[in-house]
Amino acid sequence: MNVRTIRALLKKDLALFRSDRLYLVLTVLGLIFYTAIYFIMPRHVDEDFNLAMYAPVLPPAFSQLTQQPGTDIEFFQTENELKQSILDGKYQAGISLPANIMEIWASGGKPDITIYYASTAPPEVSQAVKTLVEELSFNQTGQPLSFDIDEEVLGPDMLGEQVALRDRMRPLWAVLILLLETMSLASLITVEIEQGTARALLVTPMRTSDLFAAKAVLGVSMAFFQAVLFMAIVGGFNLQPLIIIITLLLGSFFVMGSGFLLASLARNVQAVTGWGVLILIVLAVPGFGAVIPGLISGWARVIPSYYLVDTVNRAANYGSGWGEVWPNLAILAGITAVLVWGGLTVLRRRYQ
Amino acid sequence: MSARRIWTLIKADVLHGPKDAILVMSIVMPILLALFINLAFGNIFTDRAKLGIYDSDSSSVVEILKQDQSISVKTYSSEAELRQATNSGAVDMGLVLPADFDETLSTGTVQLKAYIWGESLAKNRAVIPAALEHAVRQATGAEVPVNIQTVALGEESSLPWSDRLLPLVVFMAVFFGGLMLPASSLINEKQHRTLEALNVTPATMADVFTGKGAIGASLALIMGVFTLLLSGSFSGNTPLLVLVLAMGSIMSAEIGLLSGAFIKDMNTLFAIWKSGGILLFGPAVVYMFPQIPSWVGYIFPTYYVIRPIVDISVSGYGLGQVGIYMIVLAAIIFLLGLAVLSVVRRLSTQALRLTG
Repeated sequence: MNVRTIRALLKKDLALFRSDRLYLVLTVLGLIFYTAIYFIMPRHVDEDFNLAMYAPVLPPAFSQLTQQPGTDIEFFQTENELKQSILDGKYQAGISLPANIMEIWASGGKPDITIYYASTAPPEVSQAVKTLVEELSFNQTGQPLSFDIDEEVLGPDMLGEQVALRDRMRPLWAVLILLLETMSLASLITVEIEQGTARALLVTPMRTSDLFAAKAVLGVSMAFFQAVLFMAIVGGFNLQPLIIIITLLLGSFFVMGSGFLLASLARNVQAVTGWGVLILIVLAVPGFGAVIPGLISGWARVIPSYYLVDTVNRAANYGSGWGEVWPNLAILAGITAVLVWGGLTVLRRRYQ
Repeated sequence: MSARRIWTLIKADVLHGPKDAILVMSIVMPILLALFINLAFGNIFTDRAKLGIYDSDSSSVVEILKQDQSISVKTYSSEAELRQATNSGAVDMGLVLPADFDETLSTGTVQLKAYIWGESLAKNRAVIPAALEHAVRQATGAEVPVNIQTVALGEESSLPWSDRLLPLVVFMAVFFGGLMLPASSLINEKQHRTLEALNVTPATMADVFTGKGAIGASLALIMGVFTLLLSGSFSGNTPLLVLVLAMGSIMSAEIGLLSGAFIKDMNTLFAIWKSGGILLFGPAVVYMFPQIPSWVGYIFPTYYVIRPIVDISVSGYGLGQVGIYMIVLAAIIFLLGLAVLSVVRRLSTQALRLTG
């Protein structure tokens, strides 16, 4: 391979990229939009039941609710104030107890309790509050249940330190940014073949390997730069930055190999997009697994991008170290090596 | 413009036009997405606490828990499977019911084993034990010592996740085909110089644009209706729903025609779709995540397509409630139509210069 030739080819491709201002602006705009979505989403997880309560007399069992983890209760002076706070969207649900609740229970009657809930709240909210109130009433009337639950927390207990949805989405966005470059790289190569410039270049002293090397460097740099920039802006390097950088770099090579393979299979740019989008959908599936834990089971491990997403997710959101992520990185490196080798081989055949 | 010439152009485009990836994607992608969301994502995005149960002895409590609307219940065939599911976050809590659970309930204290997913929210950890106690009381026939009345405050209703994903499916159906088909067709004509060839025939540039726009809009409308049918959301006031879909299809075709007129090659078109697509799909994201302030949706022109569609098909609204959005949509279509007309005039003038 000739470094000078590769440098010249890179200059040519970069000049083409820069001269097409629209492409340049759209690349920047894309990054801005992904980042904007991240910052628009809430930074914290609201993991408590925020309940409003109007209780002229508070039964002892109900006072336990104020100490129960998972519930955050504010008391109101009047029932109207409670209703207004729900209508204002400050609370999803509220409990209103009658003033004579203790007397009714003492006389063996059933007091009327009203649960107000916002009409926009999911149905399970009012149902959950109803269940809680019924249980407290049972306890208050001396009917406690007799079972003990022996609990074992699996994985790190994140109570109070939950990963926000936007942070769960970081690996998905970063990997999507990377994977989209598969299509860009494949398009770049296919255009050269379609327009005949590849053949024109090959009659110069340049060799096929130089052309591939230049495309590879461009593809890897574009993918890597965008993914790193995105992660840097959204605070994705706060934990284990080295692991994340190395994973994204491996991911960029993964993208390069996929791009080469895609370019070798597609006849034209439309075919690149057609096949590229289908491949992108499949490769994006593990990303959704990071956003919604438990969504995908073991079968997702057959999708090569799983090892990329899982590593970024573990390192960026849970601070996993080398000891935990090295098997993922080893598998990802192996898959990437096969993809790059396969892509280069098939593409070389097509060129020749 | 001549209706006969436009029809000839439409026939030529449909019968002899390129049957490429764009056409395949316009048809296949929305169907795949609709099926995927319905089959795979149907019940996953619920906000309910998720309880997993391994019950070796068919306890009656399990059936009662399954009826409880405050939680989702999944049963597992072994404790190992339950543990694995809890560890992966598929359930918030995994409960192991002993073989003699129902009998022991009436006689003494029952020892239960529960696995808790480390990332389970505090409120889910509070609700599941309450739901379990509630189910046990029902199983033992205990009488609830209170009368509870639930009252909804406000007028708007909440949307389940399956409905929140509906805009994404509809967008893909209406906007991918409706936009990409006319755009790619025009770009192809420009690249292969056939647009210039058409100029020397009696067909005007307006005929060409109308023909291509009509194909894009028709495909968008058909795919929109089809995906709504697949998603089980083709309900409510159907004539009004079809009218809104038709307006959305026209809008997407107009954007496609403008893109096709200004964009010089397919690469740039795909670059715009890739990066600028967020402008079109923005409202779908807003619908998916209620945490995003709803005013953000109003910024996007496509919001005025999707809002009435969701309101009609999901909430069962009529013209009175969605009329304002349809007026804004009609205004957007009108403005885009003016832009298309101006482009057609400019291209026609250029053609006159070429042929003159």
